[in-house]
Parts: sequence; structure tokens; C-alpha cells
Amino acid sequence: MAKESFDKEIQFLRLLALTGDAFDRQQFAGRLGISVHTFDKTIRRLKELNGENDLTELFGYRYTDSAEPALMFLFRAKSMKESESRRLPILLTALQQQAHTASELLELCDEQLADYAAAPPDEKTIRSDLRYLEEIGVVRREPGGRPYRYRLNHDLIEQLSVDELLDLYEFVDVMAHTRIPSVQGYLLRDNLKIALRAAISETDWDDALLEPFCYRYHYEARILDEAHLSALLSMVEQQRYVSFQYYSPSRKRTYGARSTNPLFSSGQEQLRKRVLPARIIYDHQYGRWYLLGTLEGGRIVKFRMDGIVDIAGEEAVESTLFQERRARVDSKIRYSWLVDTGDMVKVKARFFKPDTQYDFIRERVAMQGQWGSITEEDETSFIFEIEVNGWVEIRPWLRSFGSSCEVLEPVGLRNSLIEEWKELAGYYESI
Amino acid sequence: MNPFEKIFSYQLASRLEEQQIFTLTSQERSWLKLMLSSTAAELALDESTLNRLQQRLERDEVPSVHEVIVEKAASSQHTDFPELLIPLRRIMRKRQGVLLQRHNKYGQHMNPELGVPWKLEYSAARQEWYMYWFNLHRSAPMTTRLKHMYKVTEQSITKQQYDAVSQRMELHMQTERHEIAIQVLPIYNKELTRILHAFSCFDKRVRFDEQEQSYSIYVRFTNSEREYVLNRLRFLGKRVQIIEGDDFKQRMQDTALRALSRYGVTPVPVPDGDERSESNEQKWSESDALSTAATDSLHDEK
Repeated sequence: MAKESFDKEIQFLRLLALTGDAFDRQQFAGRLGISVHTFDKTIRRLKELNGENDLTELFGYRYTDSAEPALMFLFRAKSMKESESRRLPILLTALQQQAHTASELLELCDEQLADYAAAPPDEKTIRSDLRYLEEIGVVRREPGGRPYRYRLNHDLIEQLSVDELLDLYEFVDVMAHTRIPSVQGYLLRDNLKIALRAAISETDWDDALLEPFCYRYHYEARILDEAHLSALLSMVEQQRYVSFQYYSPSRKRTYGARSTNPLFSSGQEQLRKRVLPARIIYDHQYGRWYLLGTLEGGRIVKFRMDGIVDIAGEEAVESTLFQERRARVDSKIRYSWLVDTGDMVKVKARFFKPDTQYDFIRERVAMQGQWGSITEEDETSFIFEIEVNGWVEIRPWLRSFGSSCEVLEPVGLRNSLIEEWKELAGYYESI
Repeated sequence: MNPFEKIFSYQLASRLEEQQIFTLTSQERSWLKLMLSSTAAELALDESTLNRLQQRLERDEVPSVHEVIVEKAASSQHTDFPELLIPLRRIMRKRQGVLLQRHNKYGQHMNPELGVPWKLEYSAARQEWYMYWFNLHRSAPMTTRLKHMYKVTEQSITKQQYDAVSQRMELHMQTERHEIAIQVLPIYNKELTRILHAFSCFDKRVRFDEQEQSYSIYVRFTNSEREYVLNRLRFLGKRVQIIEGDDFKQRMQDTALRALSRYGVTPVPVPDGDERSESNEQKWSESDALSTAATDSLHDEK
């Protein structure tokens, strides 16, 4: 069976998260490059997964009410046979209470699935279930010979007191929200919730325990890009090329349906990119991911993770080649404000101190100015200097200081800001 | 680390939750092992708990995250796990009061203050923690950065006291919402995703006018978020124009003229910088920082 791909759902949710209900069906489908029929099918499937809730409501602003990561349901989208979704809970319930052999479990299934219309499972099915559960680490085999006995692998938190469990839950909550990667942390957080429910008595229960902190200005869509993370990490580990389709975020369409009719496939198939991955870059203050690597000839290339679709592993390369390429990428991005690998320029700007006793401008520059330094200072202003690869990436940051910042060098950046402020002043001339 | 595992599927997870059964996969354990290796773990967990967890994860692998991922634009005084976070939280779980020792933003020590902690909030823009609390001495709601606190001691309060404070804080937080409308200039439509991204952390809706091929973003925010909205507008520069919200138009106009006068382009006399500290606007607040900070970098600006 073909590997289930969630590329469509990811692009779909990203567009939805960013635009809400701005588009009608036809416009939305057009932007994703899919038919209205596929649009309807996808929306039905996502609604089903989301417990029939309205999808646009997911992205309302609720930071003080809840820290639930709305987009996590993407990672719960894997489909499963109905019979399997009935059988596995029986196995897991039994294995939580005590260790069992495969044939004992088979008996339990026979008993509990007696009313179920479909045929009961055979021992081979149970064995393959156990193999799967053992492989993903959910159950473990007890020591001793055949017939093997299995039990749920809960060692990690067994014997933790309620307070310890709460400490762990809060630690996981903070780390999942503030560090990367987050997805596994959110999954663990959901499991710990159930563990807490079981450990705390009804009378002591307090719903507030599950929402210990609030998170503001959070870029939720960052977790959608983590869908590609595990594939890319393992390709880097194995020092292999990857290929994928790339939809530059500035293009109108973000996802193209694969043509299923071979008659129409020629000429419609997008050219695939082929890249030796070197680094994955995460931009903290924006919540965006990038992939950096090299092409066959050695040229350094950069991709926004949100434009990457349909990743596949390709051949491995010699370790020395991989290391050499990666070292080159590293040296090229050392002075990137973000991912720019252009020529290095020195940016010099004067920042004006506020009229208040507390100099929040200086604090902000010191905190966010990356490796730049404050070189001169007097009572009213200070000079900030930084060497960066090109000035395009640092410009929005400098501009965000408004008239508290005057760029002195390079002259090209200075002039571009003058032009921009002129244009902006023109926007509001009539008020 | 493939997060699309059958075991996570909604169909199964909802059944397991009903029966109060949880499962721990290797990838969740590996993630935890990675996080436990951070210094934050020592602050969050008692030594014995930490040791026990680490022992039980001995045979799990640590994902190669640190070897591959480079983090950019993190703030330098990265304080995403302050020392007092968990001690405060432990007091809050019990709904108790606190004797707070801190310095103010000028670095001056304050006399110990008696208060009731109400919420702990992390600002991703600033990468910093804040506590919303009720100051019992001044009888006023406050916001204080955790990095300004150096000692917290639990103080016993009654349930009635807690409930009264809680009610006042709820009321206080229900502040008025403002809305402004921003138009993306159609020639910058190709930069739409990053423009929308810049507002994705706000309550917003987007309107698309097919005929004009133009996008309008309606952003809703509280008073305390005003300065950060303006920061985003200056950040995006000429790509967006405010179409509704007169005071915001005025602020942007002032900013542009003052900036030009800095560059010696217009004859307007230079007043103070236009970036305002939030403390001017929140008389109750000890903090100036909730909205003035933050930056992003956008490599795709041309």
C-alpha cells in the first residue's frame, strides 16, 4: 500500500490558518490547485477528525483561555481500520492491568468482540498487533521464555507521586510550547493528561491543572512544518540526497493535485528538486522553518519548509563529501541575519533613546541584535554595528524601530529606508 | 520520529481516552530525554524525580535535533525557563498568596510585597515570562517580568480572599478590544503569506476582493497589544496600508515624518522617538514590555 501522505492536509490547514474564511470554495480550491470536489472531500475529512467542529473557529484568538495547540489534530489524521480501532483498545486495556500472552489476548478479543459484526481476529493478527506496539515502544516483552508475555510500557512514570507527575506535566507543557521540536511534546502532554486524570481523585480534581500557563504571540502554524522534520532529520543522518516538489511561497498555488490519469500526466508533473540537505534552520521570532543544502554541482540552495511537498529519500553520498558540503553551508550562514548567504556588509545605525527614564530601546537592541554590538553611546543615542550577509533580512527589524533608528551605513540601505518612509508618509497624507 | 503513527490516530486516541488509558511511544520518550538534557529540567524537577526519569530513559535514543537544526533570531538573554517559574506555579496550584521580592525595571530593590499570583504568561515575541498578580498592599492588578523577581515565599490566604482577587483579575482582563483594517497593496500580493504570517498571532479575519484582487486584514487586539500591532506595521513597511483606524493612521504618519526628519529629508522638528513603551498606556502595569518588543527577519523581502 502506498504510504499515506498528509501533504494536502498540511497545505490546506496552513492556508486556513492564515486566511480563515477569506475565500469561497472555488477560490480556496484554486489556490491549492485542487478541484472543488477534492476541496469538499478534504474539508469533510478534516471536520470529521476535528469532532465535527467548524474549522475556522479553530484559529480564533484564545491565548488566555487555552493553550491547546489547535493544529495538532493533523497528527491524529492517520487512518485506521474500524476493526483495528476496536481491537487495540481491548489489548491495551488488558496489558495495562497485567502481562498477557498472545493467546490470552486472543481469548479476550473473542469475548469482547462477540457482538461485533466483523469476524473476530485470529492469532496471527494479534501477534502482528503486538509486534507493532512493541516496535513503537508502547508495550514491552516481559523477561522469560515462550510463550512471551507482554505488558504496557509505563515504566517512565510509574511510581511518580501526584506532585511529581504535575511537575512533569508542567515541564512538558512549557518545553512543547517554547522549544523545538514541539509535536512529540504535545503528544506526550496529551498522554500525561490522562495519567493525571487517573492519578488524582474526583474530589481533588481541578481543570485549571491542565492549563498551567498562557502563551502569547504564538505562531501555531510552526508545528505543521514539523511534519517534514523526521524525514529530513533521518536523511541528514544517513547523508542522503532528498527530492521533493517545491512551491515557492510567492506562487499563487501552494499545492498541486497529482494527476491520476496517465493520459494527462506528461507535462503536468512538476520538476522535482534534488538536494543534499545540510541544515534545518528555525527562525524563533517568526516560527518559520527553512531547509538549506547543496545541489549536485555544489551550489548552496535554500527552501522555505512550508513550500516543500512530497519528500523522498535518494542515494547516499560519501561521508567526506557530506561533511565538506555541510561545512561550506555553515561558514556561509554564520553571518546570516537569517538565511541570506550574500556578501557581507557592515550595517551601522544610530538608535535614539526614549524620553523616559527606562531605556527600552537599548534593551531591545541588545536582546534582539544577534551578534551586533553597541559601539558608541551618549545621553541621547547609541550606535549599533553588525556585519551581516546582505542587508535585506535585517531591514524589517531596523524599520520596526520607526524614527528611533537612523541607518548610517551602508548608503544603499539608508536610501532604501528614506524612500520607504517617503512612500509611507504619502499613504496617510490626507489625514 | 515520524509523528504520523497509527497509535496517535484520532479514532484510537478518543477510545483510549474514554477508558483512561495512555500510551507512551519511543518517540515521546526520546523527545523527553532531549528536553531533560536542558538546564530547564534542573529548574523544573526535583533532583530525585529528574534522576529517576533519566534512569528510565537510559536506553532511549536522543533525536539528532541539535546536530542538524540551527536556531536563528532567538533573543540573547534567552530566559524561556526562569528559576522562579515552578516555585510560583506550585504556590498557584494551591491557590495561595505570595510574598514577592523583586527589583523594578530600573534595577532598584523594592520592599517585599504581599500579593496573589493569578496567571503566568510567556510572550513568544519577547521570549520572556510575565506574572499577572494582585498586589494586596496597593490593592491593584500588576504585571511583572519573572526575571525581575528574586524570591517568592508562600503566604497563606483564605479561599474567600482568593476568590475575590480572582474575580477582580477576571474583570480586569476583560478589556476593550480595538479593531483596525489593513490592506495589502496588490503589487505585494506575492508576499501575502509572510504578511499574513506577521499577523497570525492576533485575532484576525481576512477579506479577499476578487475583482480588485486585494486582501484586507481585520486585526482585533486589546490595549496592551497596541504597540506590538504598530511594531508589526512598521516592520512590514510599505507593503501594507491602514484603511480603518484613525489613531493608527496618525501614528504611522507621525512615524514616517519623524523618520524622514531624522534623515534630514523633511523640515519637521525631531520630537522623541515614536516607539512607545507600553507603561505609558497601562497605568496599572509594572511592565513596559508586553508589546514593544519583538522582531522577525524575513529573507524574502525585496
